[in-house]
Parts: sequence; structure tokens; C-alpha cells
Amino acid sequence: MKGERVLITGCGAVSAAGMNRSETLDVFARGQRNAGPVTLFETALPYPVFEVREIPRAFFLEGQRTLSLALIAADEALGEARLSKDLSSYRVGVCMGTTVASQLNDIEFYRSYRTHGSAPMTAAHRYVNGNIAEHLARAVKARGPSLTVVNACSSGTDAIGVALSWLRSGLCDIALAGGADEMNRIPLCGFGSLGIVNEGLCAPFDRDRQGLNLGEGAGVLVLETAASARRRGNAADLYLAGYGSESDAYHLTAPHPEGVGLRASINRALAESGIAPQDVSFVNAHGTGTIDNDVVEGKVLRDLFGADVTMLSTKGFTGHTLGAAGGLEAVFTAAGLQEGWIPASIGFSTLDEDIGLAPARKKTTITGRYALSTSLAFGGNNAALVVGRDGKA
Amino acid sequence: MENTKEQALSQVKKDLKEMLVSGLSLDDVTPDEIKDDEPLFGEGLGLDSLDAVEIVVLLQRNFNIEVKDMDQGREIFQSVNTLADYVIKNRK
Amino acid sequence: MNIYGMGVLFNRGRGIASYEAALRQGWQKPSEVEAPYGPGGTYPVYQVDLEQIPDRTILKKMRRSDKLSKMAVLAAHDAVDDCGIPDIRQKNVGIIVATGHGAHPTTFEFLDGILDFGEAAASPTVFSNSVHNAAASYIASVLDIHGPTLTVTQFLFSFQAALQLAKVWLEEERCDYVLVGSADLYGEVMGYIGNSMLTTADDGKIRPFHFKPSSHVPGEGSVFFLAGNGPSQSVYCSVADVSVGGDQGDGAPADLIILDADGMLPDETAYLASVSGDIPAASYTPLFGSMMTGSAFTCAAGALMLKNQVLYPNPVVDNPHDVRLLKEKTDAPARAIHCIRYNAHAERAVINLRGAP
Repeated sequence: MKGERVLITGCGAVSAAGMNRSETLDVFARGQRNAGPVTLFETALPYPVFEVREIPRAFFLEGQRTLSLALIAADEALGEARLSKDLSSYRVGVCMGTTVASQLNDIEFYRSYRTHGSAPMTAAHRYVNGNIAEHLARAVKARGPSLTVVNACSSGTDAIGVALSWLRSGLCDIALAGGADEMNRIPLCGFGSLGIVNEGLCAPFDRDRQGLNLGEGAGVLVLETAASARRRGNAADLYLAGYGSESDAYHLTAPHPEGVGLRASINRALAESGIAPQDVSFVNAHGTGTIDNDVVEGKVLRDLFGADVTMLSTKGFTGHTLGAAGGLEAVFTAAGLQEGWIPASIGFSTLDEDIGLAPARKKTTITGRYALSTSLAFGGNNAALVVGRDGKA
Repeated sequence: MENTKEQALSQVKKDLKEMLVSGLSLDDVTPDEIKDDEPLFGEGLGLDSLDAVEIVVLLQRNFNIEVKDMDQGREIFQSVNTLADYVIKNRK
Repeated sequence: MNIYGMGVLFNRGRGIASYEAALRQGWQKPSEVEAPYGPGGTYPVYQVDLEQIPDRTILKKMRRSDKLSKMAVLAAHDAVDDCGIPDIRQKNVGIIVATGHGAHPTTFEFLDGILDFGEAAASPTVFSNSVHNAAASYIASVLDIHGPTLTVTQFLFSFQAALQLAKVWLEEERCDYVLVGSADLYGEVMGYIGNSMLTTADDGKIRPFHFKPSSHVPGEGSVFFLAGNGPSQSVYCSVADVSVGGDQGDGAPADLIILDADGMLPDETAYLASVSGDIPAASYTPLFGSMMTGSAFTCAAGALMLKNQVLYPNPVVDNPHDVRLLKEKTDAPARAIHCIRYNAHAERAVINLRGAP
């Protein structure tokens, strides 16, 4: 691929599995599932969810939980990249994926409007000041391009792909990229009505899977051209090798039965990385635990990588965090390569013959240099990232 | 007695057809054109998976009837006839 | 990056001819909408009436869709149709949809469902259509386009950021062509918020050069461009550069500066920094209304003018700051047009359009 290598110089992750990456890895290693009933709002829906434990005071923003989550993950990522929170002396882009934070969906605001014909403008002000990329860019004084990607459940992965394009084209030297989403009533009701939410805990790729659990969180990468990292005297052995995105052009909610878009996305990401399927040491799958997603995704992965591919879904630890998922899973994918292990794909126990593929049943050692992370979304969006690790490290 | 039962069933079918056309935004068919035994999915009316979950909500809203899961739905959602039988049996 | 095809859908119709006619004919009073709540009365809105839009084939494939998706698919379809590239169906085409607010009326319809019928009986179809990327999904499936598909939002810079990304995608050969455009919608609740936060022009006339106090008239519509890096014959124009915020140079000379001033900011005096005594300025926002992605309409106006080698005069010429305005239709050769938008932080985005060589 033309252009200089795009390094991953920092990672940050916050979810129900942990307030940062090291906490998360402990939870992964223990196989702990921090799910429970919804506490953030009153609901009659019986679904367990994966909520973030507590927003630290320094990051708390009233009514803007998604932004708080993004700031927590960005703070950790910047720290690891040895960057301060004033990036005005660099050319920095910010690209973030989200779903909830991009919509004015405050039900109390709307109830008041419907009932009285008027409503306090607080919710509206939060909304117009709540563009996640703009907010994060302002918080770190980034002066490069900023963009919020609203591609439903592949938003985080696509946002990282956009940042990769920016960096390669020279629009910026450093980019903060990933995704964030808060636990919210609207997707809980929406996914509930779609009949894909589990009343128990999700079991990605399992024969008896009953749907997804919703989660919340944020995952942010600091991406940086090798030249920029060199100038700062920074080094990293992780890099973003390639990105692919193709659409199914098939249906508003259902994935294409043959997974045409996913297949094309993965092929594109591999080609951009200059690698073949056998070079991929593990796949961090989208694996939501819904009947449709897992059968389509599993079949595509089996076709491309063989039935004994090492793969997992981390949704059993985090729930489906929607716009954050691609960001979080990119961080987890990078961590797998760097730490040399991936956790058991929690929730899985029984092979589904229709899929013909079993995710990792226990903590598994990783020795390879490349890993793949996939996302499938509403509307037939599919996206895939390849993370690489330098051999010499 | 039999007569009123017949009438009730026929009314439910009529209501169901109207519910399907307006609730699923079917724009090239009128309620009268839907046959009682016409398959709703695939060949026939050509509904899909999103319509199926919408019917669950429509039944709840219009008839106060719950469909617990889609395995059960597959049986009930075959045609207007099967839907009507289910509504008559479960209406509260 | 060249613009090969355009599709426009707005208050005054569908298609480039309708848009050209609007540019030629100038300002028209918008329709009035009843305020459903509050003190009552009516206020002006540039609404799209889909009932009046001739189409019986495309919309048939999207029975469940909402208005935003319908508008976007029509405009996207027309841009592909207009491009005149014979083998476009065999090419890898990417899609980037910019939207300021997405399908907000559909979100509120979903909230209605929750409030009226309870959390367990909200419509899954309405939810699916309320997701921001539904319109892009319909574009992909109705037009059978399989390339990368992205929906983005950056409020007032949504379209500029999308156009900038389209350019990058083409440069890195992520796709052969990009279908890039905008879609934004009027809705009663957003209208209420607009009326609360901004000043509405009671007579329905946006006065772009008033700057402060500014006044807005909500608009809605969709514009799409089929863009690529191929040969430059039979193109509207090329997009030489898109800069969004950050450091910007003085820019290349231009024959016309088009301002996106439309009352979406209470104070638009920042625009005064971008006008000059040497280059005439215009703003066409009074033709299509105020919206986050109105810049796509401005860009379409620039592209049309460069293709036709005609500069259309300002539809509204109230000019308290003595800006040098384009007041007459001009046939002098035009080579470059700058389209300029400011955001709430007085940052600037510039689209530099250049005529085909």
C-alpha cells in the first residue's frame, strides 16, 4: 500500500468490562461478565445490559454520557501515545462513530413538547453542542479534519477507516479515531421490537443463541504516521494495516444471506494490508449473538479462513455497544496481538452445525503478526480492519 | 350462535387485512385483494423478516395480543386465516 | 475530482432543470406551515412535496421508507442518471451521505410509539428508518451500488467533510466513483427548536447579507453529485480543493464567492471576513431555505454556473454592509467559484470549484 505506515501509538477502552484497558484485560482473563438490569433509566423491558460502572467526576458531562465515555477512552489513548491534551501544535484529525449521540431523542423533552407544546431547550442545546467528533476535537484542541460517522453498528470501524484515509492522504499527521455510545432507551426499545434482544446473556456463535445484549462504552485509537511518531521520538510496534468497507445493497435490517458485502470488505482489507487469509492469526468477529448475524458472519469467516480459524467475539464481555463496538474491538484486537493472548469467547458452549465454526473456548495464545476485526451493520454496511504488529518487537 | 361466530371471524379478517396494508405500507395491494389463504411471506404477499416483527407489534397494538417468539410466529403468520384463528383464540 | 452528474430535489421540484429555473427566476415566497402548538399562527418553510414529484418506479422499491430516504434516493438516482458514464454500473461506486439532523421526524414517530403503546410495542420498522444510515442503505439497495457506504454528520460542515472524504477516497483508489451528497429534512419539532433558538424571517425571505441579526427560513431537500477522477470531458466542473476549519491559505483567485449565510447562526458577521471588494459575492440560500447541509445546494449552483458559463444574480439583494454583490446575470467567462460556510465557532469551510479546462 502506498504512503507511509500508519501506527497505532495509543489505545483507550471503557466498557462494562473495565474503565481502561488493563482492567478490561483482567476481566477478560477471568471470564467475568458484568451485566445487570438497566440502572440508567426506568424501563419495564426485561433485558440485561452491560453498563459502564461509573463516570469519573473529571469526565462527567450532564446529559452527555456518550461524550463522557469518549473523553475517558481518548484520555487513556493520548496518555499511552505520550500526547498531552493540548494538541494544537500538531495536525490532528478526529473521527468518531456513534449512533445515539447523533440524534435528538430525549424522550422527556419530546413528552413535554407533545403535552404542552413547549419544552425546555436544555435537551436541544445539549444536542446541538453534542457532535461527538467536534466536541472531542475541541477538548484536545485538534485543528485538523473532524467528522462524526453515523453508520449504525459499523460506525466505529468505519471511523477508524476514515482516519486511515486522512492520514495516508496527508490531511493530518495524527488522528483520534474510534467510537462511543451510551446505554439508551431508544435502541433498547428498537432492538427489542426487532426481536433480537436476549432476556439472558448473549452467546455469540452458539447453537442456542437467543439474541444480543446492549452495552455502552468507547474505544479510541491514536493513529499516527510513522514520520510523525519519529518526529516525536515515539515508537510503536502496532499499526493499522488495512481497511475495507462494502455494502450488501440488500435489505434495511437483514444481512445478505451469503454475506457478500462482508466477504468483499474482508478481502479489501486483506489486499490493502498485502496479506493472505493464512497470515491472519485471529479474527475479532462482530458476533452479536443474534441468529442472523452469527450464521452469516460465521459462514463467511469459515469460507475465507477455514473451519479451524482462531476467532472470538468480545460482545459477551461488553454487550453490543453499537457505535462504540468498532472502536472497542479495534482496541481489543490490537491488545490481542500485543499481549499475545485472546480471552475465551465468553457465552459460547455448543457448536452450531449451520455455522461450522467454534470461537475460542479458552484463553488462547496468539503468536502471529496480523489480526482482523469485523463489523456488520443495519442497512447492509460491512467493514473490516487489519491490525499488524512488527515482528521485531 | 354459529352465525355470530362467522361474522366475528369475517370481521377479524377484514380488520387484519386493513392492518396489514396500512401498518406495513403495502402500496400495490388493497385489503380486499388479499386472499384469506394467500401466503403472507415469500411467494404470495411477499413480506419479509422486518414485516414479521412489525406484525408482532401491530397485533399487540390492535388486538392486545402477544406473540412470544418468532418460532410461534412462523405458525401464526402463514396467512390471514391462521392470523385470524390466533386472534380469535387469544383475544382478551 | 470532477463532477460528472448531479441530482437535485428541493422545494421547487426535482431535477437540474428545476434548480436552474429557480436560479434564473429568483426568489419566491415559501409556503406557510401551521404551528401545531404554542401561540398558534403560521410560519414559512421551504418544503418538498413528494406527492408532486413525478416518479412511479424508484419509490416503489422502498414502500417502508420515510421522506428523508425517499428524497435522498431520488436525488442520488438522478445524479447517476445524469453522469453519462456508460459503464457506471460496472464500476466500484462509493456512497457518502451528509446529513445535519438525519431523519428526526422518524425518531419522534418512534418516540410517539413508545409514549402511546409502551416500550414493548414501538415499531421496529420506524426504528429501522430512524437510524441515520437508512437513507444510504436505500440508495445502495435501490441503485444496486456495492461500494463503501458511509453516512456522516458534522452539523454545518457535514457536506464539506463528506466532499473532502470523497476526494480522498478517489485519490487512494478506494473506489472508481463516489456518489456524495446531502439530505436534510424539515420537521415540526426541529421547526419548534429552530424558532426558539434562531430568528425566523416572517415574510419568508432569507436576507443572507444582513449577517446580524440574521433570519432563517427552514428548508429541506437533497443534492447528490457523481464524482470521479477520470477524464474531464463533459463534466460540470472540478472540485479543486475542500478545506474545513484549521489553517487555510488565501486561496486561488475566483470569479464569484458564494456564501452559505442562511440564518442558521444568530450572528453571521464572520462572513464579512470572506468578502472582498474585487470579487462579487452571491448567496442562493433564499431559493432553497436554511438547512445544515444547504452547502450542497450552493455547490450545485456553482457547478451549474461553471458548466453553463453564466453567473446568476443574487435572489435577495438587501445589503446593509455594502458587500460587492452580483446583481445582474453575467455571461463573462467564469473559471473559479468559492463556496464558503462558517460554523458556530466562526471557523470556515471552503469548496473551490474550477471550470473544466
